[in-house]
Amino acid sequence: MRAFRRGLIVVFVAGIAGMLMRVRGKGGVPPTNGGWRELEAPEFR
Amino acid sequence: MTTALLVGVGAVGARAARQLIETPGLDRLLIADARPSRAAEVGDAMGDRAEIIDWQPGMGLPDEVDVVACAVPAGDDITIARDAIEAGVSCVSASDDTVTIQQLLELDDAARECGVSIIVGAGLAPGLSDVLVRHARDSFDRIDDVNVARWGAAGAASASTLRVALADRGAELRDGVIGELRKRGGEELVWFPDPVDARACEPVANGLELLSHAAPGLSRASVRYAHAEKPARGWPRRKDPINEWGALRVEVWGVRGSEREPMVFGAIDRTATAAGTVLAVATAGISGVDPHLIRREPGAHGLGGVVEPRAFLAELARRGLKVAIFEGVPVA
Repeated sequence: MRAFRRGLIVVFVAGIAGMLMRVRGKGGVPPTNGGWRELEAPEFR
Repeated sequence: MTTALLVGVGAVGARAARQLIETPGLDRLLIADARPSRAAEVGDAMGDRAEIIDWQPGMGLPDEVDVVACAVPAGDDITIARDAIEAGVSCVSASDDTVTIQQLLELDDAARECGVSIIVGAGLAPGLSDVLVRHARDSFDRIDDVNVARWGAAGAASASTLRVALADRGAELRDGVIGELRKRGGEELVWFPDPVDARACEPVANGLELLSHAAPGLSRASVRYAHAEKPARGWPRRKDPINEWGALRVEVWGVRGSEREPMVFGAIDRTATAAGTVLAVATAGISGVDPHLIRREPGAHGLGGVVEPRAFLAELARRGLKVAIFEGVPVA
């Protein structure tokens, strides 16, 4: 019973930690820094 | 007088017809399609230099044909390529189907014996992707890693190939050997040029073999396709049907001096238009009307193996298919 309670506490704490990380973590940021430039004809020659 | 036979005028073929008819030096365009009404519709729109013919794969080529362009559903290309080899005429295929690509490459010996070129995978990816890999190769001392991603399908046949590819487990090229992945999936966000931006793409086997034609000796290569978006069920529907647009991203890692660095190319266009333009330009190149675009070597080759990339990209740009390069620092 004691081990079961400990297990429940671990799951609960892990869940809270996971939620905090999800809320505070970075998201929606493109994994790039820069932009696209159209290739011009001289670059093909 | 140069005559081209275009087989298949679906989404890609119709765009290729327009590009071929506007190619200087190409005097006559013969059009054949399994659906005569569709062939008639496209043929009428192309003017006097286009002629609709009643022709089926396996019948043997008409006498006056100098080059064949195929924009047909997966599988039909093989019979058409065999007809072309028998007639001693070069042939270009836009197929993106893995089995069709392999079977076309297996015609290498026969094509060499007859002194004709079979160009395989002349679409968006494979196709333009291989041209860009070949172009990047010229900028590095050597390249070792290539990652291609495509979003979009060109018509019903292409959408069907896409579904089959994504239902399969996919593959990856490592040290020159193509190995099937252990399980399907492995979705990864790929950043295409604006406004397409991020799309989830899964590894596929389509066109992997052709990448090693564009850049022999690769340590690693992958090709990823994005799932097609489902059209909206409700009203009002989009006027511009979804899935018409396509995007391409080609990431090449190579060594220049002592530095290992990436080069990333991208393109956005209507998928059928882009594929049709690449097919037409490759056909013009191999027919000899624009000989500086492609090296005419007997055998079955991926487009990247025989293309003159700068001239080919310049010709695509002249026809409205433009390529972008990513400038910046990729952040892991």
